[in-house]
Amino acid sequence: MGNTLAARRGATYELQQGYRLMMLPAVLAVVLFAIVPLAGMFALAFSDYHLIRGTNWEFGWRNFVRMLSDKRLMNSVYVMAALSVFGVIAQVLIGSAVAVGLQKITGRWRVGRVLFLLPYAVPHVAVALIWLSLFTPTLSPINAFFDLFGVTVPAFLTSQWGAIFAIVVADTWTNFPFAMLIIMAALQGISPDLEEAAAIDGATRVRTFIHITLPLLTPALLMITLFRFIDSLKHFPMIFVMTKGGPGRSTQATNYYAYVQTFQNSNVAYGAAIAVMLFLTAALISYHVAKLNQRVTT
Amino acid sequence: MIDNSDAYRQKRRFGMAVMILLLVFAALPTVWVLILSLRQPFAIFEPIWESPLALTLENFFKITRSDFPRALLNSFATAGLSTAFAMLVGVPAGFALAKARLAGKFMASWVLLLLRMAPPVGFVIPLFLAYVNAGLIDTYTGLVFAYMTLTLPLVVWSMWNSFAQVPDELIEAAIMDDASLAQAFFLVALPAARPGAVAAAILAFLVAWNDFFYALIITRSDTATAPVAVMNFISYDSVDWASIAVASIALTLPILPLMAIANRYIVQSLSGAVKG
Repeated sequence: MGNTLAARRGATYELQQGYRLMMLPAVLAVVLFAIVPLAGMFALAFSDYHLIRGTNWEFGWRNFVRMLSDKRLMNSVYVMAALSVFGVIAQVLIGSAVAVGLQKITGRWRVGRVLFLLPYAVPHVAVALIWLSLFTPTLSPINAFFDLFGVTVPAFLTSQWGAIFAIVVADTWTNFPFAMLIIMAALQGISPDLEEAAAIDGATRVRTFIHITLPLLTPALLMITLFRFIDSLKHFPMIFVMTKGGPGRSTQATNYYAYVQTFQNSNVAYGAAIAVMLFLTAALISYHVAKLNQRVTT
Repeated sequence: MIDNSDAYRQKRRFGMAVMILLLVFAALPTVWVLILSLRQPFAIFEPIWESPLALTLENFFKITRSDFPRALLNSFATAGLSTAFAMLVGVPAGFALAKARLAGKFMASWVLLLLRMAPPVGFVIPLFLAYVNAGLIDTYTGLVFAYMTLTLPLVVWSMWNSFAQVPDELIEAAIMDDASLAQAFFLVALPAARPGAVAAAILAFLVAWNDFFYALIITRSDTATAPVAVMNFISYDSVDWASIAVASIALTLPILPLMAIANRYIVQSLSGAVKG
C-alpha cells in the first residue's frame, strides 16, 4: 500500500514536472521578447538617453518631473480622452442600432449583415487611407454630392475639432461592428419572456428598455467601453496617416506624442517615460480584467 | 401581437430610414474604394456620375510593377512565421496552464493580458535601440521577433481558455491508462481543442498582418510590410490615390476568409471573458 502511494506521488510529481517543461519555452520567449524590452523601457525612462547626443549615464526622476509641467503631454491626454469618449459613444450607439435593426431582419435579407461586418475586417492603415480620401475635399464623392445642392462641405482635416471628428468617424467605421457583435450576443441571451412579462404588467417600451433590457446589457456595454479605451491607449495608424497629429497638435494623442518625442525629437528617455505612464495605465486596467476573469472561471 | 396603428407604422418607417442611413455609412467607403481603384487617371478627381464609364483595370496592373507585391509577400512571411513560432511555443504552454496544479496562475493571466493591452510604443523603443546595435533593423529575423510580442500572449491566452474547456477527466483517464503526458497532449487534448487552436492561429496572424507600428519603426525598404509600403504612394507633392485604393483592397482581401472563420470565435472568447 505504502509503496503504491509513494509511486503515485512520484508519478504526480513527474506529471507536474512535465507540465512545467511544456511551459518552459513560452516562459523563456515571454521573458526574452517582452519582459526584457519592458525592463529596458523602465531603465530608459529613468535615464538621459538621447538618440543623437547619447547618454551621460545619469539616472533619476527628471523625465517624470518634466512630465508634470509638460503642456503638450497634458494636451495629448485630453486628445486621447476625446478620441476614446466620442469613439465609444458613437460605436455603442451605432453598434446597438444596427444590432437591434438586424434582429428584425429575417429571411434572405439576413446576408445583408455581411455589409455591416466588412468594415471590421479592413486593416487600420487601409481604413485611415480610405477615410483620408473621403475627407479630401477635391477628391471626396461626399463633397461632390453636396456640391450638387450648392452645399459646401467644410475641410474637416484642417480644423482642430474637425480633425478629431474625422478620426472618430474612421475609428467608428471600423470598430462599430465589434460593438454590434457583442451587443447582438448579449441580446440573444435576453429572454423575450422578460420583455413580454413587463409589457403585460403595463410597462411602456421605454420603461421596459430602461429597467429590463439595459441592466442586462450593462456587462456588454462595460466590456465594449473597456476594450475601446484600451485600444485608445494605442491609437496610432489613423493619426499617423490622416493628420500626423495636426493641425498643430490637435490630434496628438499620448501614444502618438510618445512616438514624436522618441523618434522625431530623438528624446528617447522622455518618450520611454511617457510609454511607462501608458503602460502603468494598461497594467491597472488589465489587473481588473484579470480579476473579473478569475471570478468567472473559478 | 400585431399592431397596425399609424403610430406603429410611422415608427417602422423611421427605423427603416435609420437602418438605410447606417447601411450607407457602413458600405459607402467600401464602394468608394472599389470605384477609386477602377478609375482612369484623368477621371480620378471627377465625380463618378459625371464620367461613369471612365474605368480601367490598369491600376491593378500598374501596382504589380511597384514594390508593393514584395511588401505583401513580406507581410505574409513575417505574420506567418511569427504565428507558427507562437503556436509552437504557446499551445503546450496554454495546455499546461489549463491543466497543471500551479501557484501564480492569476499572475500569469495578468501578465498575458497586460502584454496584449500594453501600448507597443513601450516595447518598440528598447527593441529599436537593441536592433540598431545588433544589426537587426530591416531584417526578417528582427520583425518576426518583434511580432512574437503580439502573437505569443494572444496564443497562450486563447489556448489556455480552449484547453480549460477540455474536461480534466479526459486527460486523467489517458494518464491512468499509462499514456505519457506528451501522448495525452497530442492524442487527447489537442484534437479536442482543435477549433480553438485554429482560431488562435488566425487571430495571431491577423494582429501581425494588421500591424503598422512595429514595421514602421524597425523596417526599411527591404523588409517593409504592406501596411508600411502603402505609404510610399503618398509623396510630398502628390498622392497616387488609385494605387492606394488597389493596395487597400490587396491588404483586406487575403484576410477576409480568415475573418469569416474567426468572427464567431472572437465574440465567444470576448463575451466569455465577462459573461462566463
